Amino acid sequence: MPDGAGRSFTFLEQAARDDLIGLGSQLKWLRELKESGASIFKERGLPNRSDEYWRYTQLNKLIEIDFQLSKESPFVGSKQLSQGVSGGLSTYRIVLVNGCLRKDLCSIENLPKGVLIAGLNAAISSVPSRLEKKLGKNIDLENMPMAALNTAFLKEGVIILVDNDIVIDKPIELISITMPNKYPTMSQPRFLIDLGENAKATLIESHIGNTEIPYFNNVVSEVTIGEGAGLDHYKLQEEGLAAVHISTIALRLQRQSLYRGFILQSGGLIGRTEASAVLDGSESDCRFDGVYLGSRNQLLDTTTSIKHVATNCKSRQVFKGVLDGSAHGVFQGKTHVTIGAQKTDGYQLSRALMLSPDAEITTKPELEIYADDVKCSHGATSGDLDADSLFYLKSRGLSPDVARRVLVEAFLNESLSEIKLNEIFEGFTNHVRGWLNSKTKQSAVG
Amino acid sequence: MALLEIRNLHVTVENKPILNGVNLKIEPGEIHAIMGPNGSGKSTLSYILSGREGYKITDGEVIYNGIDLLELEPDQRAREGVFLAFQYPVEIPGVVGLTFLKTALNAIRVHRGENELDAMDFLKFVREKAQSLEIDDEMLKRFVNEGFSGGEKKRMEILQMAILQPKLAILDETDSGLDIDALQVVSKGINALRDANRGMLLITHYQRLLNYVHPDKVHVLANGRIAKSGDGALAQELEEKGYAEFNAFVE
Repeated sequence: MPDGAGRSFTFLEQAARDDLIGLGSQLKWLRELKESGASIFKERGLPNRSDEYWRYTQLNKLIEIDFQLSKESPFVGSKQLSQGVSGGLSTYRIVLVNGCLRKDLCSIENLPKGVLIAGLNAAISSVPSRLEKKLGKNIDLENMPMAALNTAFLKEGVIILVDNDIVIDKPIELISITMPNKYPTMSQPRFLIDLGENAKATLIESHIGNTEIPYFNNVVSEVTIGEGAGLDHYKLQEEGLAAVHISTIALRLQRQSLYRGFILQSGGLIGRTEASAVLDGSESDCRFDGVYLGSRNQLLDTTTSIKHVATNCKSRQVFKGVLDGSAHGVFQGKTHVTIGAQKTDGYQLSRALMLSPDAEITTKPELEIYADDVKCSHGATSGDLDADSLFYLKSRGLSPDVARRVLVEAFLNESLSEIKLNEIFEGFTNHVRGWLNSKTKQSAVG
Repeated sequence: MALLEIRNLHVTVENKPILNGVNLKIEPGEIHAIMGPNGSGKSTLSYILSGREGYKITDGEVIYNGIDLLELEPDQRAREGVFLAFQYPVEIPGVVGLTFLKTALNAIRVHRGENELDAMDFLKFVREKAQSLEIDDEMLKRFVNEGFSGGEKKRMEILQMAILQPKLAILDETDSGLDIDALQVVSKGINALRDANRGMLLITHYQRLLNYVHPDKVHVLANGRIAKSGDGALAQELEEKGYAEFNAFVE
């Protein structure tokens, strides 16, 4: 029995006790989907060192704490809602508090025709056959135990379906907020985003923690981008200091489609985002960029896998990390080019900046190429701030603190400048500055 | 009071002696040139004055404006009015030139007890200075020195000097890598900053910069010491005879 399998029973017992697996049992496909998630998780247990892509991210913390699904939905004010990264843009907004959809905080009136944004439960009742075709179809549960766990709990979440040729006028903002609870809270939200042919949308996702007590947020996003369609996807992971945030993003790109993903992770005791994309339509373009900012004893893990199946596709990944204290950063990036995926253009860059001698980075780039006419490259660097640059700035009157900040911002700017929407760029940049400020304060106190 | 007084300065790098008792005194308003063969310690002297790490001062002192310069951190020296124009200006991708200049100027202004300049006033101020150095807005908006030619980098150093208005400017091989046109632009920029209250130390291997910027005093640095001092005529003499006479001192 794998490590953690005992714990997996406890998770699943709770799911059974709350009748989660039975939920929606009148729909055979849904019952089967949840049961398959449950049985895979039961078999596999929590991921551990023997799982290749979980070697550096241990979830033992989850065993120590008796997490429960939230039954209450605490008060949330405009202050909490403004912690997202929408940069003051007018958006269609959907809000989860402690994993539960909060209709009173959502703002999804006057959606364009051909757009459905709804809670998972509501969508299961209103458009079951559309969900049957999509839900769980793009995700490899066998190799993703945490996604299997989420599937077993399938109940709360958000469905975004966009019909062919619809260009949504405003970004969709998805905010997940965790507030203090009487018991350690667990959330298992499921997001499903499906863009029809030539549809265009922008999704801004913020995960905000307003509590320093431990909680567990296990998110799964399934994203399908139809032929000629495009999705800009921004994600902020700013969970609480003691939180465990695990996110699995499964993407499928059809012909001539475009996905631009940007993620900033700075929250959580453990924060992991795993994104896997399958490019199975020719001339599709997948970009995945991001920044992680680690301090204290945080573990921040970014794991990507881009699978080129069709010809003439592009993928590009640029990740930058800044690590302070005894933080540990993990970047595992895989570009897989199957035998038929000729003319693939794949690029990957991982750079980490270490601000403290106790910080640690683990980088594992992987290129797996079976086609013979491709252009693929990857690069990885890690190190301290450049001493010559620091001296240059100080020789112009910048104090050591300011000089370091200027260089850290410059380092991150290469990644941040990939953000196309100005307001969002500002939102993320302010977030980075806030992080740098809090660090300066910490070091001033320490 | 002298602007800068270097007394018996001894410096080693990794236990190797580089400067072996340098003495030098610069009065306000004076331009001094330090010339010398390669490896004589010219650049080391510039780094010691600006506070770069990696050097060990084994003896001597440096008094700037009545204070012990060697006690100050590099950024404190800059705010006190010491400026080094680098021989090899550093490229800093991701930092916009204008933003950098504004941060630097305001750090120094605040230290002097002056108001910070806002974006508009700052831009006006910079454009004025940049024009005579043939630096356009496009160049100012680029990342600091990134992808600049040798000449562009040196002009940018002089622009920084013009903006920060130091009391003591040390120019390390500012003429190296410049063609004749660029040399004239840079020289004009340096001459424009000649001021009764400002001292300058020009460090150069060749005499040609001194055809455009006329020094009050010329020193030959060899074997880590000032081997000879004179007026502008000494530079001319060196140009003709070379450094052979002084190389003899180098072991």
